[in-house]
Amino acid sequence: MKKRQLTTLLAIAAITPLALTACSGGGAQTGGDPDTLTILDYYNNEPDKTLIQAALDTCAEELDVTIERETVPGKDLIQKVLQRSSSKTLPDVLMLDNPDLQEIAATGGLAPLSDYDVDTSGFADGILEAATYEDEVYGLAPTVNTLGLFYNETLLAEAGIEPPTTWDELKTAAAALTTGDQYGLAFSAIATYEGSWQFLPFMWTNGGDETDLNTPEVAEALQLWVDLVDSGSASKSVLNWSQADVKDQFVAGNAAMMINGPWQIPGLAETPDVKWGTVQVPVNDESQTPIAPLGGEVWTVPVTGDDEKQAKAASFVECISSDDNQLELATERYTVPTKTELAGEYVEAVPTMEAFTEQVANARSRTGQLGEEWPEAATVIYTAIQLALTGQASVEDAFEQAAAG
Amino acid sequence: MTTTRLTSGPAPASPDGAPRRGTLPGRTRKQQFRRQFSKENITKILFVVPAALYIVLFFGYPVVKNVVMSLQDYTTKTFFTGEAPWVGIQNYVTVITSNLFWPSLTNTALFTIGSILGQFVIGLALAAFFKRRFPLNNFLRSMLLLPWLLPLIVASATWRSILDQDSGILNRFLGTLGLDAIPWLTDPSVALTAVILVNIWVGIPFNVTILYGGLQDIPDELYEAGALDGAIGWKAFRHITWPNLRPVVSVVLLLGVVYTLKVLDIILGLTNGGPANATQTLAIRSYQESFVNFEFGVGAAFSNILILISLLFAIIYLRANRRQVDE
Amino acid sequence: MTIAPVVLSGQAATRRRHKENTRSAGYTALGIVFLALMLFPVYWMINASLQPSGNTLTADIFPFNPSFAGYEKAIADQGGNLITSLLISLGTVVLSLVIAAPAAYALAQFRFRWINIALLAIIISQMIPGIVIANALYAAYNDLGLLNSIPGLILADASHAIPFAILILRAFMIGIPPSIVEAARVDGAGLVRAFISIVVPISRNSLITAGLFAFLFSWSDFLFALTLTTTEDVRPVTLGIYQYLGTQVANWSAVMATAVLSSIPAIVLLILAQKYIAAGATGGAVK
Repeated sequence: MKKRQLTTLLAIAAITPLALTACSGGGAQTGGDPDTLTILDYYNNEPDKTLIQAALDTCAEELDVTIERETVPGKDLIQKVLQRSSSKTLPDVLMLDNPDLQEIAATGGLAPLSDYDVDTSGFADGILEAATYEDEVYGLAPTVNTLGLFYNETLLAEAGIEPPTTWDELKTAAAALTTGDQYGLAFSAIATYEGSWQFLPFMWTNGGDETDLNTPEVAEALQLWVDLVDSGSASKSVLNWSQADVKDQFVAGNAAMMINGPWQIPGLAETPDVKWGTVQVPVNDESQTPIAPLGGEVWTVPVTGDDEKQAKAASFVECISSDDNQLELATERYTVPTKTELAGEYVEAVPTMEAFTEQVANARSRTGQLGEEWPEAATVIYTAIQLALTGQASVEDAFEQAAAG
Repeated sequence: MTTTRLTSGPAPASPDGAPRRGTLPGRTRKQQFRRQFSKENITKILFVVPAALYIVLFFGYPVVKNVVMSLQDYTTKTFFTGEAPWVGIQNYVTVITSNLFWPSLTNTALFTIGSILGQFVIGLALAAFFKRRFPLNNFLRSMLLLPWLLPLIVASATWRSILDQDSGILNRFLGTLGLDAIPWLTDPSVALTAVILVNIWVGIPFNVTILYGGLQDIPDELYEAGALDGAIGWKAFRHITWPNLRPVVSVVLLLGVVYTLKVLDIILGLTNGGPANATQTLAIRSYQESFVNFEFGVGAAFSNILILISLLFAIIYLRANRRQVDE
Repeated sequence: MTIAPVVLSGQAATRRRHKENTRSAGYTALGIVFLALMLFPVYWMINASLQPSGNTLTADIFPFNPSFAGYEKAIADQGGNLITSLLISLGTVVLSLVIAAPAAYALAQFRFRWINIALLAIIISQMIPGIVIANALYAAYNDLGLLNSIPGLILADASHAIPFAILILRAFMIGIPPSIVEAARVDGAGLVRAFISIVVPISRNSLITAGLFAFLFSWSDFLFALTLTTTEDVRPVTLGIYQYLGTQVANWSAVMATAVLSSIPAIVLLILAQKYIAAGATGGAVK
């Protein structure tokens, strides 16, 4: 290519992107407009994005404000929050995953909802607990989810097995359902908080507590998992499966039962050949009540320094969790409303969610006891699980070893 | 037989044999001053100024911030309030005395050495292969870059499914050969190897492309002349290819090491540092301390240790470079 | 020094040509085998993208029943993002080469006393974890109003590509005989003129190689795209993919389809660029 042609081409290539600045969006948000609220959340994928947008739009109309919304992938939310807090550009309304709220509230970056007379009555205890830091409620969640046991109705019927309600029944059922490529049970024991999350129902139901992981109750729960994997009823690959992978295995027929949550239901609808049912998580002893962890996101009001906006944001947060919005979101997203009085109405509308709605009534928040110390405990839990399942530590020593790291 | 290279080494001696230093004999300070700042020298400096500006602006502040952060108790609170109590080297002590430090250091070393060896050797072999002329050469060589075009999240998801113990295609293939299924990502003793193999796969295009460019720059006349002296095949490689390729090889190895030490997404995507911390590396520790445990000071300490290790390699590179240039 | 070509008689010449042809064909076959081995995971990804479930759990080794749902989604959603990515990547290439080439030449050929320090600084810049840079950049960009802009992303991506390009280009430029440039200077050309008309054409191979990687770095960058955008105005395709990846559910067929589709224009550009990496760029110059 001749030198001059090359130079001209390069010049054009260089100018084009610069010329397009005019076409691209403007710079940082001004945020000066009093009637605009900026929102940050992690519902970046469909269908959640549109569903949440509808709820946000409803509230925007009700309060007569315009909203500017930013969505980021789930694992990057906290990073964004930190970046924006250090540059003092926090949004007016911030969504947080409930176990993160205490950590952020502890920094002083969130405004207590009581400052703005937000009514927090009628909400399930667990979610208020998660959203409370030093006796102040900092956020409200419209819906929550939890964990349950999904089972493949066809496979269980063929084998003549009833959905298990106790750990012993679970072990026998899983063993009976393990044939060929098919495992009896699938769950997630991955080396992230997802693994810890999946372990909590078994730990809590058995009386174990995250404040002291070196108790026999916790060890028994871990022993259950070890037994399931060692006996071959669950694949060794659970060490590397996220909950999305678990669902894929279930749907592909590689697992007859799975521990998972109701957010998978829209995905399960895409494979109508797989007929599934749900029950609450099995208990160790019949006297125990199944206790599952509380999942779901809370909406909070960051401290931006603009009192007027913060007040508006608080009303906005209150509106998101209004009865109508709760039922709407709950029905569309297959999550459970947080206002206890709506439970009956909800189960009528969505009968498949009965087991989960019952479970939520007994659900427990992860940060209720430990607050900001939860991340450490969660890390110890998943490390211990990995050590035990790979045989690197005995069940008795696993938690001790994990805590030492 | 090498082409002559201009050195950046010591300046040539002045006419009377003594090396130049400071003022030259026979010139006044004013003359030397004017000479130093002659138009020529200013132009020469201007060659470098834009790049220097860029690096200082984009990297200067972050480097300093990272070092300072490692000496503070930097938590989520700091982002909001700006307060970060000074803790001196406490973070470094925490890092070095943590249970996972030595295992992750060992893993980092194994991971880096394994990856670089694999990537470089295969990359060089492929580059030499593609130097021959045959139809579709250009197309095939370009397609080799395809792995680099894929987002790492897609690449790691694909490899996770390939390496799955039960349903992964690799184990199914091994099954047809009569071999047992290997627990690639779930057995602590195998996981590191699996991760190294995937990293080699990721790094081959990088090595092939740069080494190929380097091979192409060696004039054919050298090979022809060498052939007359009987240097063909392996001898040609040793006496013609290798010496001419040295600058490119050393920069490829250096950058390979620096980039491999930083590798994060592949390991996170494949194993999250598991199973049972078998694939923990210093980079992963840094990330987890900062963004999972919210201990940014400790995370910064980990990443600074990583930078120190890279620095070691950089210094080795510069030493080797200077020696090369003097030859 | 050339060897006088040997003229073969008719039959011998044909036989020799056949032998060369078979050998060439042999190399091509071998090349295809290597490529197949290297690209098997890519093939597997394409296989996954054509499955309705988006994963290969129920897949055969060949997608006998392809489902294009993922591709439909990808095409509908990501068209604009692809163009954004292309613009940013091309801009990064140009900016990086324009800044890095003179610097590389200077560090390769000029006699500065501080060359090693400069090199060390450049190498250190490659060691910094991206997240540290991204965090610092966010604050700066926010103040300067560079968020959500294509030039902003070009500048950010170039920050990764420039030091790399300098190191690579320098390694190649060390091999340039200074006699060539001096010859031009003797003829009255200025330093800049000599650089543009002599050094740049000779360094064609390395410039293309460095440019290639600048393109790839920028194309596959996710961190800066995520950090330096707050709205959907400017959304490179790496960020666009996350539309299909939620916190607990993932639409892998759309993800993989997007990855496949976005690779196509990039691979076309790369093939075109690689055509120009030819042997002998430095060759004739020595004479």
